Amino acid sequence: MKRFRRCGAFFSLALVLALSSGAASPLSAATIPAADAQLKAAVAAAPSTAVQAAGDPGGATTGTINDVPVSDAKAGVTVSDVANQVGQNKIAINFVWTLITGFLVMFMQAGFAMVEAGLCRVKNANHTYMMNFFVYTCGLFAYWLLGFAIQMGGAAGNGNLGGLQPLASEHTVKIFGATWGLFGGAGMFLSGHTYDVGVMVIFLFEMVFMDTALTIVTGACAERWKFLAFTVSSLFMGALTYPLFGNWAWGGGWLAQLGANLGLGKGYCDFAGSGVVHAVGGVSALAVAMIIGPRIGKFNKDGSANAILGHDISAVLIGCFILAFGWFGFNPGSTLGASAAGNLRIGTIAVDTMLAGCTGTIGAILYMWLMRGKPDASMSGNGLLAGLVAITAPSGFVSPINSCIIGLVAGLLVCFSVSFVENVMKIDDPVGAVSVHGTCGLWGVLSVGLFADGTSNYGGSWNGVTGSVTGLFYGDPGQLVAQLIGIATLIGVIFTITMLINLGIEFFIGQRTSAEAELAGLDIPEMGQLGYPEFALRTEVQAAVA
Amino acid sequence: MAANQQQGRYLTLFWISITVLCAGIAIFATALGKLVLLAGLAGTIGSLLGFIKIKRLEGEAAALPTSPILKLAGILVTWLGWLVAVVGLHITSSVGGRMTFALAGIAISLYGIIGVLTTAFGKKAVGRI
Repeated sequence: MKRFRRCGAFFSLALVLALSSGAASPLSAATIPAADAQLKAAVAAAPSTAVQAAGDPGGATTGTINDVPVSDAKAGVTVSDVANQVGQNKIAINFVWTLITGFLVMFMQAGFAMVEAGLCRVKNANHTYMMNFFVYTCGLFAYWLLGFAIQMGGAAGNGNLGGLQPLASEHTVKIFGATWGLFGGAGMFLSGHTYDVGVMVIFLFEMVFMDTALTIVTGACAERWKFLAFTVSSLFMGALTYPLFGNWAWGGGWLAQLGANLGLGKGYCDFAGSGVVHAVGGVSALAVAMIIGPRIGKFNKDGSANAILGHDISAVLIGCFILAFGWFGFNPGSTLGASAAGNLRIGTIAVDTMLAGCTGTIGAILYMWLMRGKPDASMSGNGLLAGLVAITAPSGFVSPINSCIIGLVAGLLVCFSVSFVENVMKIDDPVGAVSVHGTCGLWGVLSVGLFADGTSNYGGSWNGVTGSVTGLFYGDPGQLVAQLIGIATLIGVIFTITMLINLGIEFFIGQRTSAEAELAGLDIPEMGQLGYPEFALRTEVQAAVA
Repeated sequence: MAANQQQGRYLTLFWISITVLCAGIAIFATALGKLVLLAGLAGTIGSLLGFIKIKRLEGEAAALPTSPILKLAGILVTWLGWLVAVVGLHITSSVGGRMTFALAGIAISLYGIIGVLTTAFGKKAVGRI
């Protein structure tokens, strides 16, 4: 039986090599009948039903040539049947990989909820948790309606997931002799020809990334954002703002085309979304936090800031670990496959992710210990997240050593940024979302242009340009320019679009709750129920006196 | 007043209307699609007017004094930075030149945000809440 399986395996390998060699006629007329004859002999030698009915504790008789689907029962299994099955296996492996990593990213919503609620006061716990709960619904619905079509409507051509050919509608503009993608058009409601198995996989995966961006905003605006305004804002972000940048970077849009059209490296490269997800979330959070204004009691008349402590540091740190776990789906999953096209780099990507999170924590915790004398728990958690955010874009293109550097810089950067945003810009950000995701997300985008080492090989090209992604330190300054254009777009376009949309929401709905509700805590006025009904709440006045 | 049934009513209208609006966009090529789009648009506008109507009932928010003109100026300056970066791609073909334009554009955008918009949104307001 083992000899049979070895022969069968050898034959299948030879067949695949022959088919993939690109030879003009890999199988001559003489060999095809011979191959089919060998297949028929293999079928005859396969374990019979009676043998299998005896049980297979060692797995030696389960999974044979009889499990290959045949197109013609009379003809039996043929070379084309085997080749088709090989192709389907590749796609099935990639489907399973992409879906399972997508499920991990979806679970990050729980991590975000715990981190944000933990850093807020008890009286706002229900409200904060509910924003993180409901943002999933708002984002998913808006993305299904319109966002996915805008982002991925023109993304056809992904070989990992079977081609995604139904997504072949990209609206373009011709400027200076080159064609530039603006937004997609196929996939609204996942209906018609986009009711397709491959499209479903990419929808799920991209949707959970989109939701990560949306949830970032809830952190920066916690403790005073009206639930109604949050809902409408999230719908717009899921339908328009996020998908627009997502198309430009990942859906066949103009940022990705900077390489093919202008010779700038491989165009804007963002492997898993430091820019597309985290920086979009971070700059959007900044825009909305500016409109909403600081919490009552955050700043004094002289401009100095008061620390408003969160109520549950254990939730914060456990939430950080949930996020770190989910990041194993975020970064390695962005290969969109575990079979072929360089996808075996998934282990490297996962290790790069871990290392950056590790050095991010080190950077933040040592900074706080040196400067403030204590290893601050919340900043340590933010350091971990900063490292993970920063490595998200370069994770597919850099070495472990470079990952450590990127993470360490992010861990230090987040500490400086939190202080800058609070003390210089006078923006109240209860959870540090602007710094963790905005500042460190932009650093991640920049890192690709510096540290990408040219050793990755995802099918021989990236963004339609032959070769591997290579940064400045490894010989391609053009890549750095492409990344800088991406950064300029995040700051100059996504920020302004978010600001305009949310100024509109301010006009129609009002972004902020009443002062009375804010002082009482948003749980009762906005949600109708306390997060912890058996707690005896102490007001700020009582706390100050005590 | 905070969350209430009127908010729920107008949000429900808004949610249904944007769904209908998107359905209209999806089938816009047909005559029915245009009708559906108009219906969705009408519902969306109705819900926005409803939001305005109930907004004034919701109590005074703690807000800093802001300058509408400075806000607009800040948004324009921020966007202008992006324009500088992108136009630079076509003004020069050298990597160094394009990098310079990109960095300049980013600096202009950051000035728009840090220098203008933070002031527009009350950074220096006396008696900050």
